[in-house]
Amino acid sequence: MSAGGAGEEATSSYSPQTMMGIGIIGGLVGIYLGALLSPTHPVLSFLGGIGAICAIVWGADAVRRVASYGLGTGVPSIGMIALGMGIVASLFGLSIGGSFAGPIVAFISAATIGAIIGLLANKVIGMGIPIMEQAMVEIAGAGSLVIIGLCTVITGTFEYSAVIENVVAPGYIAMIFIFGGMGILHPFNANLGPDEKQDRTLSVAIEKGALALVVAGIASAINEGLEAAFVTALIGVIIWYLAFKKYFEFVKRDAHKVVGTGMLPTEEELQ
Amino acid sequence: MEPLIGMGVLALMGVAATIAGASEDLESDVGSQSNPNSQVQLAPQMMFPHRIYNKAVSGEPPSNALMSAIGATCAVVFMDVFSLSPLFALVLGAFIAACIHGTFAITSVMGRSASQQRFKQPVYMDIIRSHTPVIMGYAFITTFCILVISYLLNVVLGHPFPLPLLAFIWGITVGAIGSSTGDVHYGAEREFQQFEFGAGLNASNSGNIVRKAESGLRNGYDNSWFCAKFGGPVTGIAFGMTVFLGNWITTVFDPVRGLGWLSVVAGALIVLILIIWNRKIEVTARKAFGPYKEDKVEEEATA
Repeated sequence: MSAGGAGEEATSSYSPQTMMGIGIIGGLVGIYLGALLSPTHPVLSFLGGIGAICAIVWGADAVRRVASYGLGTGVPSIGMIALGMGIVASLFGLSIGGSFAGPIVAFISAATIGAIIGLLANKVIGMGIPIMEQAMVEIAGAGSLVIIGLCTVITGTFEYSAVIENVVAPGYIAMIFIFGGMGILHPFNANLGPDEKQDRTLSVAIEKGALALVVAGIASAINEGLEAAFVTALIGVIIWYLAFKKYFEFVKRDAHKVVGTGMLPTEEELQ
Repeated sequence: MEPLIGMGVLALMGVAATIAGASEDLESDVGSQSNPNSQVQLAPQMMFPHRIYNKAVSGEPPSNALMSAIGATCAVVFMDVFSLSPLFALVLGAFIAACIHGTFAITSVMGRSASQQRFKQPVYMDIIRSHTPVIMGYAFITTFCILVISYLLNVVLGHPFPLPLLAFIWGITVGAIGSSTGDVHYGAEREFQQFEFGAGLNASNSGNIVRKAESGLRNGYDNSWFCAKFGGPVTGIAFGMTVFLGNWITTVFDPVRGLGWLSVVAGALIVLILIIWNRKIEVTARKAFGPYKEDKVEEEATA
């Protein structure tokens, strides 16, 4: 057994297909609802952030599955590559997809880039991880949906010109890039170990996604107004609180023991 | 801009960078982030459960980039929407970033300990309650200093990149320097100080980190106390020099005045001097200290 995971397929109570469904459908529905309803009331742009949280949960699950093959210190790298692929695909997709098909074109482009990188990793570099190709497709797709979702929160639309003007030019894209990446990589990295559990890892993904929603909400104040910013940040804080509470319950369930303070376990206890 | 004002701003950036480097390294040491973390993670698996904070947020560069980018994003909003003074906005931005970093620290220490259930590693709540505010405090200092550097670069020196992007880049840089400079002092010298100095890490000693302190059981405070003596300050000097020298060449040989190529030459010269200087330090240190030798007087006394 390695410190970086079991070195074998991860055991899951939610299947990869379920997670994919949550990520793709939840992500796209959230993004489209956010963009379509935002003109009626700017407050509703937070729906894009809900889509981003769905995508973060999916991405974290994909990282969990691929990193269980003993990636160890490669976990942060895989999160960074997810958003690296996602950012290229998102801007490409939004620029050629127009005002309606943008997110879908971006998602398909991301999946294509992911497939190529997955093939390169396994066939050329020879990493030999059985699910590498599929995982890279999933991670890249999730990365692109996270970026577009958080852009929708900030601008209220995913139109290319608006995203360039209100997200890329002021530099918020740097925050979206790194928060999206950390949202996808941190859950598994934080729970790494032989007794890692899927539900505990995914509760961290929701918790970090909610924090990304809070910061994107604050950033939306410039375009969407103070009311929208406040409501989005408040929704983020509520989701964060509920997810963190759930996570702590999972920790208490899974840990050897949770103690206020105490000495180290004795030799007899360790036997 | 007047060259003298430019140099003054540069000096201020250098000072902020030195503080940022030192606090970044100590922040990672309190929580055992980055390279030394692998041994903290491995210890319970080798039957060495411990009371050391296992802050596996990610590598140092991404986590510092995250803090800095969040701080800068919030600061920009506070300056634009609420018309706050830059100093106040930077402080508020750094505060929000430090709070979010605190949540990252807590989820990692709890998660990593819970995932070692079969090795009977407990989750010590007093360690989480006492260490997390210290981690957030250091994170606040680091983020604030990075924001000061980025703000001066953007507003006073007229760098074309927006504030969040500059903060993101400097966040990655301070994390990378903290990871490469400061970690050596904590990992090799502190975690394995019960073994011969300079002996390297034998595979059979993996995970056998020092778990007992001068008084009681060792924790992250003891490690930051040790690292504050050398690892933290040396990281500060390294990052301060990077920021100062990196910008000094273009301030003195300003590309706007047609001296762009001279700044490239000056940069290459500085790198060359540093390489030679480092090599000399290394050779001198090896000659002076060399491999560990047993004290002859002690040997005779025991005989």
